[in-house]
Amino acid sequence: MNPLALVLVPTVLSFGLALRRVREQARLLLVAAAVVGSVLAFSHAMMSSRELWLWGYVRLDATSRLFVALINPIFLGVSWYVAVRLTATPALHSGFGRFAGLALTFLGAANAAVLGNHLIVQWIALEITTLVAAPLIIRPGVVRSRAASWHYLLFSSVGLGLVLLGFLCLGRGLQAAGHAPSYFIDQLAALKPTGAGPWGNLGLSLVLLGLGTKLGLAPMYTWLPDAYDEAPPAVSALLGAVQFNAVLVLLLRVLQVYRPINPSLVTGELLILGLASMVISAASIIATWNMKRLIAYAAINHAGVIAIGLALGKGAAYGVLIYVISNAFIKAILFLTAGKIKAHYRTEDTREISGLIKDLPYSGIFLLVGTLALLGFPPFGSFFGELLILSALVSFGHLYVFAAFCVVITITFVATGRTFFPMIWGLPKKVHNWPRQTFLAISPKAGFFVILVVLGLYIPPALSGLLERVAASLEGP
Amino acid sequence: MSPLLIALLGALLIPLFVGRWRMSLFGLALQGLILAAIAYPELGPLRSAQAWLTLADLGLVRGVLVPLALYTVLRAQGAPSRNDTVAPNLFSWTLALGMVLAAFNLSDILVSAPGQEQTLVAISVAGVLLGFLVLASATGPLSQMVGALRIENAIAILQLSGSHESSFALELALLAVFVATVALFRWYLASLESQPTAPSELESAPDSLTL
Repeated sequence: MNPLALVLVPTVLSFGLALRRVREQARLLLVAAAVVGSVLAFSHAMMSSRELWLWGYVRLDATSRLFVALINPIFLGVSWYVAVRLTATPALHSGFGRFAGLALTFLGAANAAVLGNHLIVQWIALEITTLVAAPLIIRPGVVRSRAASWHYLLFSSVGLGLVLLGFLCLGRGLQAAGHAPSYFIDQLAALKPTGAGPWGNLGLSLVLLGLGTKLGLAPMYTWLPDAYDEAPPAVSALLGAVQFNAVLVLLLRVLQVYRPINPSLVTGELLILGLASMVISAASIIATWNMKRLIAYAAINHAGVIAIGLALGKGAAYGVLIYVISNAFIKAILFLTAGKIKAHYRTEDTREISGLIKDLPYSGIFLLVGTLALLGFPPFGSFFGELLILSALVSFGHLYVFAAFCVVITITFVATGRTFFPMIWGLPKKVHNWPRQTFLAISPKAGFFVILVVLGLYIPPALSGLLERVAASLEGP
Repeated sequence: MSPLLIALLGALLIPLFVGRWRMSLFGLALQGLILAAIAYPELGPLRSAQAWLTLADLGLVRGVLVPLALYTVLRAQGAPSRNDTVAPNLFSWTLALGMVLAAFNLSDILVSAPGQEQTLVAISVAGVLLGFLVLASATGPLSQMVGALRIENAIAILQLSGSHESSFALELALLAVFVATVALFRWYLASLESQPTAPSELESAPDSLTL
């Protein structure tokens, strides 16, 4: 099966939603496309086939196999959540066709970004995910969400602009070194460009800074808490767990082919961006009492941990990948749960919410598990990922970074626990007697929960093999 | 430095010192048109579709359609003519001129041979730095858009300064993404500038009615 189906199926269906008769079946179409996407993604991840497709523009290697198998099931979970919400709340039907159309285009573009074998094609696909996600952030009648959506679009445009500028500089660097300029990843990997020169150094710095902006790394991170907080929970989950990983794939591709031209620049810039993001997120977590903003700041912290892990390359790569997978499911669980809690309590102020474990037992359990995984408790993947990254920091002699990492992560741990644990265990302020949630309603979060726990306890050999191959591709020469 | 390159530098700098939105948009239009004029002799006889596409991108889209799209919104809103893209003081202006000087120094490092390529790289770097200055100073959506569009134009200048591997389909896709971005910018300009400010209208929609 041609992997291009992962791009074409959702994109064609999204165009189909322009027809009224098709729009009436938007919910079914959204879930069906997500199911097809997940089945295709798993079949591509498990079965070996040729690597290059569509004149070399599409590449099915370990990296793309791993990430299509990660983002498509998350999209399926979010689609299922949305479909159940729609059944429970018929008022949401108006404008749902638009949501489904944009979400399907988003999925098609995210798959294109993951499968692309050409840096500019991947860049275009990421731009499309941004352009369709911006309107999704807006909640009807909420002015703040419009402003948050604008900030998201502005920062994304500038960040991706820097990435494109960086690619052009890297192309000029190749020319200056006597090579033909190319943006095909397999050709660049075969070329093994070395020796940066001023164009290479400038290009690499700009690309890392630009992708850092899209990942929510400091210094250009301010769009992230606004966008994640104001967006509907399903959209926050899509941004945090799907788009984040599509951007991450482009970063992995850049590291796979361009790290050798100046390894110390890559390590230095990623360490600084990562550590600065962790410090900023810790300070922000201490200062906020807003539930969704806190999860957003924790997402910045996670992006910082991933950047530090990627800076190290060898040794940390496997840990980073385990952390990335775990992080995607944590964010999906927490954002969807936060949406449920906010819809019931009509507030995001964590001081106004307590006794969730009695009041909304399922949401309480999901928040508890999500928080424990967020904080890096065993047996979750985030624990093993952080452990491997910390061990690599020590073995590569980055002891100051190791010390700072430990201090910041401890502060984050205490600040997050101080806010979330009273929400879960505290005495209920009022007796609400909410109607009991059906299994159908909790099934997407339960699915993410099961995957999160299982992957923490046991990594199947097929997945472990895939992770090892992606880690090896990141190690560089 | 050729008259066209001097004019391009002027189109980058002068609108910063004149705090009017019409001037900002005129500066953007001028940048696009001058870029088209610079590109025209480089493209040779206009036989290939890619050459036509480059000219349409620079001259028609960046030079006419983008400024016009923003102009029609601001005109319809009756926006006050004053709009400072950077703070109107000596510090900002010195910073802007300093950035241009720094850009020319950087281009000496990037391109060793003096000539049009070196100047175009210098102007491109200046465009990015001035775009960031505008973004850092701006508070309103219009100035932020102008800052982002300045950076987009700077990317186009860098593309013009050297050959790069590309195809017609890729160029078309890049142009389509740029047009879609500007269309969204226009929509935000219209909706953010006209947003209600009365407290009652600022209240959130019920979250139970959110996906």
